[in-house]
Amino acid sequence: MTELAFDIREVSYRYNRVAALNWLSMQVRRGERVALLGANGSGKSTLLRLLAGLNFPQRGEISFFGEPLTEARLQDEEFFFRFRRRVGLVFQNAEIQLFNPSVFDELAFGPLQLRWPREKIRRRVEETLEAMGIAHLKDRAPHRLSGGEKKRVALASVLILDPEILLLDEPSGALDPGSQAQIVEFLVSCGNSSKTVITATHDLDTLEDIADRCYVFENGRVAGQGTPLEILHDVALLERTKLMRPHHHVHGAGGAQPHPHLHQHEG
Amino acid sequence: MRLAMHIPDGYLSPSTCVSLFAAAAPFWYIALRRLKAALHTRMIPLLSVFAAFSFVVMMFNLPLPGGTTGHAVGMGVAAIVLGPWAAIMAISIALTIQAVFFGDGGITALGANCFNMAIVGSLVGYAMYRLLARRASIGSVRRVVGAGMAGYTAINVAALCAAVEFGIQPLLFHDASGAPLYAPYPLSISIPAMMLGHLTFAGLAEFVISAGIVAYLQRSDPELLRLTAPGAPDLHETLLPQTDPLRLPTARKLWLGLAALLILTPLGILAVGSAWGEWTAQDFSDPQARRQIAAASRSEAPPSGTPRGLQHLSSIWTAPLPRYAPAFIRSASFGYFVSGMVGVGLIIVCSLLLNGLVARGGIEQPVPGRRRRKSFVEKTALGLVAAMQEALFAEDMAANGGFLQRLDPRVKLAGIGAFIVASVAVRRIWALAAMLALCIVLAVFSRIPIRLLATRIWLAVLAFTGVIALPAVFLTPGQSLYRLPVLEWQVTEQGLRAASFLILRAETAATFSALLVLSTLWTQLLRAFRYFRMPVVLVAILGMTYRYMFLFLQTAEDMFESRETRMVGILEPADRRRLAAASAGVLLGKTMQVSSEVHTAMQARGFRGEIRLLDELQMRAGDWLRLAAFVGTACIVVWLGR
Repeated sequence: MTELAFDIREVSYRYNRVAALNWLSMQVRRGERVALLGANGSGKSTLLRLLAGLNFPQRGEISFFGEPLTEARLQDEEFFFRFRRRVGLVFQNAEIQLFNPSVFDELAFGPLQLRWPREKIRRRVEETLEAMGIAHLKDRAPHRLSGGEKKRVALASVLILDPEILLLDEPSGALDPGSQAQIVEFLVSCGNSSKTVITATHDLDTLEDIADRCYVFENGRVAGQGTPLEILHDVALLERTKLMRPHHHVHGAGGAQPHPHLHQHEG
Repeated sequence: MRLAMHIPDGYLSPSTCVSLFAAAAPFWYIALRRLKAALHTRMIPLLSVFAAFSFVVMMFNLPLPGGTTGHAVGMGVAAIVLGPWAAIMAISIALTIQAVFFGDGGITALGANCFNMAIVGSLVGYAMYRLLARRASIGSVRRVVGAGMAGYTAINVAALCAAVEFGIQPLLFHDASGAPLYAPYPLSISIPAMMLGHLTFAGLAEFVISAGIVAYLQRSDPELLRLTAPGAPDLHETLLPQTDPLRLPTARKLWLGLAALLILTPLGILAVGSAWGEWTAQDFSDPQARRQIAAASRSEAPPSGTPRGLQHLSSIWTAPLPRYAPAFIRSASFGYFVSGMVGVGLIIVCSLLLNGLVARGGIEQPVPGRRRRKSFVEKTALGLVAAMQEALFAEDMAANGGFLQRLDPRVKLAGIGAFIVASVAVRRIWALAAMLALCIVLAVFSRIPIRLLATRIWLAVLAFTGVIALPAVFLTPGQSLYRLPVLEWQVTEQGLRAASFLILRAETAATFSALLVLSTLWTQLLRAFRYFRMPVVLVAILGMTYRYMFLFLQTAEDMFESRETRMVGILEPADRRRLAAASAGVLLGKTMQVSSEVHTAMQARGFRGEIRLLDELQMRAGDWLRLAAFVGTACIVVWLGR
């Protein structure tokens, strides 16, 4: 049996009076690619923030490779740097994540905080810019980037640390199909490496490419889990959790626009 | 109506600038220390994002009575939401970005502007709010009124500080002929001129924005008011305000009040009398005072014996009065009083005339059908777009490979900085003209279109400084050159010199800073700041402020544009004010949210409160050489033009 990267036991979290997570339990194994599915406000983003050690559960426990992940534990500098080095979170809103004056500074931010030697930082920044195909953006300011470029820079700013565990909050949200494809391509490539990837999404089209296992969220609880295929076939679950609207369409007489079906239906 | 709240370069002498920087420094130091202790790792994102917010809010057009609009600085709100120390820092940062990027306020005068608005303004605003609100509940009307008064008092005390800074200039700094080298008006004119605008328009704008934002927060985000309201019950005891603080007096009352102020303010100054010290005529013949003045103005003897202008001034106005008039009318004080009023009146007339000219010659689009006044929503949206475009345009300029663009940013910062200081320090008109010529040469070699400088810098500065300088031609006492027919006002040689000093200085310094901005990318400028040992925290905050300024400009513009498309019919003035304040309130809510999110995003990448930056390499020999050339030339100009 492989090691558990995250073990989440009966966790609850609430913002003021609004509950975001309710007695949630789940496990993520090392090297696994997991998708968190759910409608807006179902608690996916909250869970990612707890896993990234930015907020802490009011009830329940989260452990990280067997060690408890608590606020007190993260005060310890040695653990803090080790944890940050291993876990990277890409935020849903790239505007928030890009807080530096230029793309170069953005990429250098993480390594600088983790006190890498300066020469190594310069080298790694160049390498990452090349690898992500954004070398031409190096001296640009964030307000001069397009939506897709912002997303890629945000991803690069996390990948530069080469984290073992990658937490992604709607990585392809609000992107044009071309930019979406690039992000998905990257996530597919992660499948070949040993990275653990946890992706929050409500995009069912790419599910099979980016995940080995899915959790479906509803009101801060797990409403269902399984492989992408199992989940995609559970139409009742998807409709109930508002991930799919009740399926209505007419197949024209000539079948002018053939399209693949993830599920079977009559007609 | 733009007011002289942001002091430009050239209005204050170098020694005044230095002493105000020195006065501001301990406050900044204490503020940083306190904030670090209180906010831990949240300080950097909070200050930067809030500074970006204040920058954007300063561009909001606020509808005021009488159909005018005004801008607010927002120090009252800052002090209420952030507490006085964080407000000092946030507003100082916003002022810095304004000075460096948009030429609002001079670079050498930055210390003075921060002292007046950020430090004095925040502290006074905070004290006023705490004093008036006391332990009133979070949702009470008292807090709304307290906030309004906090804003009103803060801007007025800040304006008074600026007026005093202006007013002491002509006395301490003048050339051999007695012509003032910097701001040319004595306290008797500078105080009423400044206070008139601030006690009315700017003060009202500040009142509206502070009261309006607090009223908005009470309903939507009361938690933001908690910080500066310790021990206040949060029950909504009084549900709705009985008297609406945003319902302000109508235009007629306002004009009456203005007239009353015009008469009363100089009287108030007279009452204070020579507490201001040096500016009475007699002081010039008092040997001890003369020595003090001489020491202050680089051991150049002040005009001897004759209290030149001052006595002369009093005689201008008392002469035509019959002999049997009561003694006080023939006194020097009365002369002051009258000259003060005439000076203020002249400045107002000039600004109205120029406003009219600029409005007619401006880029106003012809509106088919009847002439329509732009709504404040439209005006604000246009202003926001203009600011964004200006900044983007500067970035594009900085990317073309001209002479200045290719210089190392550190060389440019220090070199052009030296010239800005030189343009404030020299005491000869030819030296200023020579430096202005140098600017043109640099612009040509850097492929910066002269037309751009002419319209954006020279004309703008002339419109603003010209209005202020023109009356000095008549009001400065000295050797008469020409007498205006009918009015009998004399144009004095000293007056002409004073006006040219002020205008040329302001033009030269503004052109130099424009060259710096147009030829340097912000990121490079930040590196240069870092090289010159600006604390890492400040560099990081400035970078983040500039970055989020764009986000908020965009957000605010979207907000106003969507408002505009949904606006049906004409709003009551009070509703318009409420709308403007609510927009600012919404933006403030977003600001606080962005600041906390950015904080988590920073933490997620290993930030623990101590920021680290990648410092760039060393200066090469060639860079040193160019730097030496720049600074050397500036020094020579100062020496020759002393």
